[in-house]
Amino acid sequence: MYDLVIRNGNVVDGSGLPAYRADVAVKDGRIVKIGRVSEGARRVVDAAGKVVAPGFIDPHTHFDAQLLWDGCAKPALSHGVTTIVPGNCSLSLAPLRAEHRMKLVGMFNQIEEMPLKAFRDGVVWDWETFAEYIARIRKGLAINVAPLVGHSVLRLWVMRDAAMERTATDAEVAQMQAVLRECLDAGAAGLSTSYVDMDERLQPVPSRYADASEVDALASVLGEYGRMLQIVPEFYDADLTIARLDQLAELSLKHNIPTTFSPLFVNADNIEAVNRVMRRVDEQFDRGARVWPQVQTRPIDISFCFAVPSLLFIRFRSWYRIMRFGAHEEILAAFRDPQNRQKLIAEAAPLAGLWPRLVLRHVNTDANRQYVGKTLGEIGELRGVSPVDAMIDLSLEEDLDAHFLAAGMGHNNDAEVGRLLSHPRVHVGASDGGAHILSFSTYGDTGYLLGHFVRDVKAMSLEAAVKKVTSDTAAIWGIPERGLLQTGYVADMVVFDPKTIDRCAEDYVGDVPGDGYRYVRDSSGVEAVFVGGALAWSAAEGYQPAQGQILPGVISAGLAA
Amino acid sequence: MFQMFPTRVWKEPDVSQLSRVRRSVLPQKDDTWADIARRELADLAEADAVSALQSWNLHVFMRATITTGRPGNPILPSDVIFVEPPLAAA
Ligand SMILES: [Zn+2]
Repeated sequence: MYDLVIRNGNVVDGSGLPAYRADVAVKDGRIVKIGRVSEGARRVVDAAGKVVAPGFIDPHTHFDAQLLWDGCAKPALSHGVTTIVPGNCSLSLAPLRAEHRMKLVGMFNQIEEMPLKAFRDGVVWDWETFAEYIARIRKGLAINVAPLVGHSVLRLWVMRDAAMERTATDAEVAQMQAVLRECLDAGAAGLSTSYVDMDERLQPVPSRYADASEVDALASVLGEYGRMLQIVPEFYDADLTIARLDQLAELSLKHNIPTTFSPLFVNADNIEAVNRVMRRVDEQFDRGARVWPQVQTRPIDISFCFAVPSLLFIRFRSWYRIMRFGAHEEILAAFRDPQNRQKLIAEAAPLAGLWPRLVLRHVNTDANRQYVGKTLGEIGELRGVSPVDAMIDLSLEEDLDAHFLAAGMGHNNDAEVGRLLSHPRVHVGASDGGAHILSFSTYGDTGYLLGHFVRDVKAMSLEAAVKKVTSDTAAIWGIPERGLLQTGYVADMVVFDPKTIDRCAEDYVGDVPGDGYRYVRDSSGVEAVFVGGALAWSAAEGYQPAQGQILPGVISAGLAA
Repeated sequence: MFQMFPTRVWKEPDVSQLSRVRRSVLPQKDDTWADIARRELADLAEADAVSALQSWNLHVFMRATITTGRPGNPILPSDVIFVEPPLAAA
């Protein structure tokens, strides 16, 4: 008697090899047989016409806070994602002294666009160390978590406020090494750092005050454990990205660690630049280094309203400053004042081509509902004003709660993105899951990969795409016994319909603590998701209690011997 | 399925095989533009070297005005500083 048998499915086992028809049997959380299974099971799933694959692994997320109130990292699990990596981009929620809690909330708000209210209403701050944070999220955890330690946070822990001002002394570096070791012992999957991000005061984050010798010292600790170093390079510039990936390559070779940088976008105006970056990646891999560029599958779509600072405006100082630091009334006043309005419009002249293409997606007043779904170009024509004036007028009329969508802002050329995603040295990821919750939906990138790039565009085979987000990811991150459907492996699995798998339309839902909203996408075509052999989500039954683990974890006793 | 990238033949890693990329340095402790200019562009007059460095490193030079607008040394210990202009396209 098995715990679970999935019958008649098409097994896409994560290795990249061709799919085949078989039953999959599970006992005590592990795959025990693949082939013809005649014995019964406590749960039997008929997967005829469906694909059975390893659960997907999302290597770049910011679910750190959400895991405190939602152990499923909704809706990630429903998309077939069974493992997430939070703590990217130099930010994690531990180790964190009580005195720096609000500092970190400010950074999450600025960089990852997480609302302050969600932290205030959704978080009981009852941890400081990494081990305490892990113990805290383990309660009710239904998805596997491979958490990174944020370099900015590690610096704050050791250097306190000096972390935001200067390089570390030798003694402080030694202390950071010791604390990083404690974090890795408590289950951390590696370290993340950032060379671009700014904090809530628009000042560089603490990790940017570290010199190369500090990063080298921390990488040497990662080397003791063979764990990952993730960085955010100056991704807007190819020369800077190459300089950073060269730095990573040296660290990878010296300390024998995997490294990854994210994001890498390909746009109409940087195709040759991306080719140059990839040629360098190839050269570094040829030397034996591991420097994985992370590429997201979805195009860049950005929604915004003027009540919340949007990264879309970060280049335009007056806009961004008023959104970032202005009170609600001040923003309204800035828009109402005719002279100031003209000044703002002039400053954002580089966006002149964008304004008419923006789509109005949400309003509260009945009077303006007629415009929802129309572009600002169309609305401006109906109202006899310019598109940018229409945007400002609507924002005033809606008390700033008018939402606009900038679609297809980049990374949307199927041929180029498809070519990049299928490159053997590209790490498919960079979803940013759980972050930017009022700017775009960071969920469903695997559905987009399998629906759009595999089924519609045919940029890669189903087997190759599944491999990219399962066994490749597990191998890159050193996660044992997952990412493949293989006897003895942990039964993290997803059953989906290859004809319908996709991400659904973006939805604006109010499920964030503090009466907050976020943009999400439900899954399409996913039938059932198993974590450690237990049903974690199904289209018929919704979320179910499963037991997520902290990864990479330790290899099982049988295999370790 | 079409093959998008040619199959690679494994070769012995050769560390000398890195192609030339735009030359950059990492700042030393409390480096100013003038310090880097004296060290990296010693054959130029200091004022010329400083303005060349600044023009090649707008990601650093422009930072102060983008963030606080305050004057001061905007070079961070983690910055990459280019010590030559972009390479001409191959
Ligand atoms: Zn991130």
